[in-house]
Amino acid sequence: MSEALRRANVLVCGGTGCEASGSHDTFQRLTEEVERRGLTNEVQLIHTGCRGFCAMGPIVIIYPEGIFYCQVQGEDIPLLVEETLVKGHIVERLTYKEPAAHQAVPFYSQIPFYEKQKRIILRNCGMIDPENLEEYIARDGYQALGKVLSTMTPRDVYGEVKASKLRGRGGAGFLTGLKWEFTARAQAEPKYVVCNADEGDPGAFMDRSVIEGDPHSLLEGMIICGYAIGAREGYVYCRAEYPLAIKRLEIAMAQAEEYGLLGDNILGTDFSFHLHVKEGAGAFVCGEETALLASIEGRRGEPRPRPPFPAVVGLWGKPTNLNNVKSYASVPQIILNGAKWFASIGSPESPGTAIFALTGKVNNTGLVEVPMGIMLGEIIFDIGGGIPNGKPFKAVQTGGPLGGCIPVQHLNVPVDFDSLKEVGAVMGSGGMIVVDEDTCMVEFAKFFLTFATAESCGKCVPCRMGGKRMLEVLTRITEGRGRLQDLVTLRELAAGMEEASLCALGQLTPGPVKSALQYFEDEFIAHIVDKRCPAGACTSLVRARCINACPADVDVPSYVALVAQGRYAEALEIHRRTNPFPLVCGRVCPAFCEDRCRRADIDEAIAIRDAKRFMADHELERPWTPPRYGEAKDQKVAVVGSGPAGLTAALRLAQQGYPVTVFEQLPAPGGMMAFGIPDYRLPRDILNADIEAITRAGVEIRCNQALGRDFSLDSLSEDGYSAVVLAIGAHKSSKLRIEGEEKEGVLPGVDFLREVALDNPPDLTGKRVGVVGGGNVAIDAVRTAWRLGASQVHVIYRRLREDMPAYEEEIKAAEEEGAIFHFLTNPTRVLGDGHVTGVECLVHEPGDFDRSGRRRPVPVPGSEFTLDLDVLIPAIGQSPDVEWLAGDPAIALQRNNTFEVSGALCTSREGVFAAGDAVLGPATVVEAVAQGNEVARAVDHYLRTGTTEKTVMMPGYEVVEQPFDLDEYADARRPHRPELPVGERRGNFREVELGLDEETAREECKRCLRCDLEWLETMQLAFEPVPARQASKVFSASRRDNQ
Amino acid sequence: MEQETLDLAPLYEMLKEYKTQRGAVIPALQKAQGIYGWLPKEVLEVVSQEMRVPLSQIYGVVTFYSQFYLTRRGRHICRQCDGTACHVKGAAAIVSAAEKHLGVKAGETTPDYEVTFEVVYCLGSCGLAPVAMIDDKVIGHLVPERMVDILDKLE
Amino acid sequence: MPKLKSIEDLKAVREQAQRDLKVRTETGTRIIVGMGTCGIAAGARETMHAILEELDRQGIEANVTTVGCIGMCSKEPLVDIEQAGRPRITYCNVDPSMVPRLIEEHLRQGNVVYEWTMGRVPSEGIGQSS
Repeated sequence: MSEALRRANVLVCGGTGCEASGSHDTFQRLTEEVERRGLTNEVQLIHTGCRGFCAMGPIVIIYPEGIFYCQVQGEDIPLLVEETLVKGHIVERLTYKEPAAHQAVPFYSQIPFYEKQKRIILRNCGMIDPENLEEYIARDGYQALGKVLSTMTPRDVYGEVKASKLRGRGGAGFLTGLKWEFTARAQAEPKYVVCNADEGDPGAFMDRSVIEGDPHSLLEGMIICGYAIGAREGYVYCRAEYPLAIKRLEIAMAQAEEYGLLGDNILGTDFSFHLHVKEGAGAFVCGEETALLASIEGRRGEPRPRPPFPAVVGLWGKPTNLNNVKSYASVPQIILNGAKWFASIGSPESPGTAIFALTGKVNNTGLVEVPMGIMLGEIIFDIGGGIPNGKPFKAVQTGGPLGGCIPVQHLNVPVDFDSLKEVGAVMGSGGMIVVDEDTCMVEFAKFFLTFATAESCGKCVPCRMGGKRMLEVLTRITEGRGRLQDLVTLRELAAGMEEASLCALGQLTPGPVKSALQYFEDEFIAHIVDKRCPAGACTSLVRARCINACPADVDVPSYVALVAQGRYAEALEIHRRTNPFPLVCGRVCPAFCEDRCRRADIDEAIAIRDAKRFMADHELERPWTPPRYGEAKDQKVAVVGSGPAGLTAALRLAQQGYPVTVFEQLPAPGGMMAFGIPDYRLPRDILNADIEAITRAGVEIRCNQALGRDFSLDSLSEDGYSAVVLAIGAHKSSKLRIEGEEKEGVLPGVDFLREVALDNPPDLTGKRVGVVGGGNVAIDAVRTAWRLGASQVHVIYRRLREDMPAYEEEIKAAEEEGAIFHFLTNPTRVLGDGHVTGVECLVHEPGDFDRSGRRRPVPVPGSEFTLDLDVLIPAIGQSPDVEWLAGDPAIALQRNNTFEVSGALCTSREGVFAAGDAVLGPATVVEAVAQGNEVARAVDHYLRTGTTEKTVMMPGYEVVEQPFDLDEYADARRPHRPELPVGERRGNFREVELGLDEETAREECKRCLRCDLEWLETMQLAFEPVPARQASKVFSASRRDNQ
Repeated sequence: MEQETLDLAPLYEMLKEYKTQRGAVIPALQKAQGIYGWLPKEVLEVVSQEMRVPLSQIYGVVTFYSQFYLTRRGRHICRQCDGTACHVKGAAAIVSAAEKHLGVKAGETTPDYEVTFEVVYCLGSCGLAPVAMIDDKVIGHLVPERMVDILDKLE
Repeated sequence: MPKLKSIEDLKAVREQAQRDLKVRTETGTRIIVGMGTCGIAAGARETMHAILEELDRQGIEANVTTVGCIGMCSKEPLVDIEQAGRPRITYCNVDPSMVPRLIEEHLRQGNVVYEWTMGRVPSEGIGQSS
């Protein structure tokens, strides 16, 4: 069936609460207005059940954007339709506002971006006209200078700065006041004040912003410094890349001179001070103080050994005070408000504020000034607004190319000079670059090293050569030519450079590599051992990001290209080489490939899963018989469990010629595919079609055979099985561990779904059901309960919606079907005598960050409330059922009862392997398939050689030609997936998601950017197809010994 | 080289101001480059004589700083930033698109001296990453297709 | 401007400047465009020109000034409108095509264009409370 595609879906809540607030009228008006504007074919209107937010009703939600409007009355409809459905704008007036900020236009101080900021250095930036001195004066500008000249001795001035404990904002964190004192006490004359505005760190731009936005604050700070140390002349050394900053600085200097605030006899006193601007010429090392001074003198900007420090021997051999822009700009505020005031801000050892340039993969990029000691996670999530597209946070690089990265487990670290050092990063210049899963930490480290080695001045050997050698090693790792020994070499080189380099550039160059090794060693090892780049960034190892993202290495671009050409059988054949469940995965795969699709950088990802489903459905009437690759063998293999991992392993081994028997405990094969995923997502006959193909390869499946009851590992070996694969899944529901859990009416999630699949559903008609959890099992249970006639379905989840592990589309569907969500809520007690009558819950609030980077839910004392329920379904996690082991130590388990396995998926018992959820914990079909392939390779290797080392598969590549012009599809858009209307879903298990029609599917596939062809070009490989069509991709690989 | 005689008069005029200043070699060279677009040998020789700094030292300075050029530059300068923020946001793809479009590698100038394409580290506009600076204009939120489009429309 | 000869001169200038500022916020209209490098790169110059043109076209008198970066680079170009006795409203991502409606609704009709706003700035500045 092919329903017309809709551009937008408008959901109007029709719950009792909203009806009472007039949602009927709202819906009516909406229908009329949509009709009037001729949008009927584009916009789908849906009446939903209660959303549990009755106070704000009537609620209207518009997808795909997910715009949430509340209190929408009939008269709001014309505006809503006009602005949102026609123009695509959000009507702010109708959006929900947190009660605290119930104003359409909040004060800046209430916008999360500014709420946690404290602006001292940036106080005037964006507020005053930087080219107008009087605006600066109006905001107390030059008052500090006046105070200094009229009431303070030079000694008072540096004493005050010292007492404030201001630390150098250039990154090193030396006490500014102390430096001033050194220079003041130096004997030689004349003395100089120099400002380092050579902001060379990629990713830092706060100095530029201060000079551009508030240049007088820098001038005032420098003049005060001149008075304090006894200098009459100063220089601002500014990067040439900042023409606007230089221009504004020159204007500011001219104005200050005109007003008598700079030059001879400042404010009528006998203190005179002159300033010059020096433009840099592009050398990163000039950020180092001695190199910077050499550059001002007109020489090559090479550093020299210290001591003597510039305070003693500086510019032209004279005592020189050198500070960063932000240090000088802080001084007027310290003088005006006093050292005590400044020292009271931030953390005791790092007082004041820090400015960060927040950039990279973060929503609110920009400049932020925060009190020192703020939690890192607050900067990234509260101020920065989190990671775009809801991706997980991976790491943040602080201190630029000479800094280090901080991973997710350290989001609670206070941001100040000393704490950052403790976790292996530095404050540095204040660049804060956020990266997500798309950044490869090995490549990232290589990037910084490329920069640092290019900027090495070459004067000292450790920096000049050490950096180069490290870069070579990193390059070969990213190209898949690394050795494990390389990690030792990198660490040795790093230690040598840190110890022996002349200046900070060389000493800090290894920093990013060291911290990447400290926190992301597994990524280095993935490159070296598995020849894989998990982030999909290293070209040599990644043919296309989608293939790289697929756990089963399915050759996405090839089959998508074949679908585009109508060659469905060939497309399917490529898919089945690595994944024999195209019908299943076409429906339930989370499509990791789509998350990484490069087309999404332009508009939207290719609808890969829909294309897959189309080709698999299209070929449904031509049953597939898997090809046989190996000669018939006589070593028998037993596979325990018939889920995706077990069946894939069985298929691959059968294709290699082994006789394989699968033992299944339940009455039908399929594991969680049959007894976990409900029929409305995956119809049973569809699943069976994929399974039947596997039996055609010669795999025998014996149902109703339970391990520990009908057979044992010993009996299997007695029966002549040479190897066993345990793919028993994770079918045991985790307990809530709360009082009353044993009461009647408490049904564990997986048990509930299994009983429904066995055609033995509990009677839920008219009952109030509560489901605890936020994963896919929980949402499956919610949607199943609704279909079984439950009157209300509540979801109780202890974190926030965005933290739910369930698939977004499933959560949305549950919302459409009227599920009532209680976020930040956890059950504490099951109520009722014998039978459940309700559950007592406790409200939580987000606390600090846990190791997963999510806010830890913290109970709010006294927030208990009762939810009246008839049935409670806990679905907070699953683990393998290992009761049959009866404590047998022959097979080692990990926490959560998953099997402990070697790199070759071998358990601690000889000849017994394990795969799927029993190893991974609850995972996806495609991850189980990948494990099935891998364990089959391991078993084959074991049976042929008797050894169990890990084998690595280097897949060959396929080249499918591109017979049309991609440019014609530049404006093509991803189609919407047709769905069964919400009104037709209740009381049945009909499939909800529907397939694309042939034309749509083929056209959609033509949007593919064919990264695989680009890769061939980049790698300079031949465009001819690989002839190895006859061999299974899974087995054709060259084998490499683990090093 | 088809480089003909260079008009050195403006150079002598400009150097008058810097002759007397201490440590003014770098600003003098910057100004000189501003006049000629790059630093031909004759210019360096004049700077050396006028500023009374050995040519070897001038050469040392010129080769040390990345903003001095000893080869002729294009009429337009396109600088793609590959600083960290831009790198994370996909600058590499823009660089290869530009290289492919112009037919030159980063750091090179098209044979018709129309465009010089460079990759630089950080233009300080990280909030708009990925960015490029084309002549004196900073352009943010680039994608490869847009870069090609901009290069196409350069006049 | 004669040179300031003493602290008293400076104080006088400050008082005068503050008075000017006060007069300006209590009378007339000021339009403030963020013109840091980030703003300019995001098109602030074009936006400012569009504002000047539109003011001219509609015959509205307003003082257009520029400021540096306020930190929210991802929302540039930022345009603030400050009118006598009313809070200073910040609009974000203002491109030239938005200018006519902005001027018409905010300046002519006195209605804030809510969907483009980011916030309002308290008179004493940002992050200085407490």
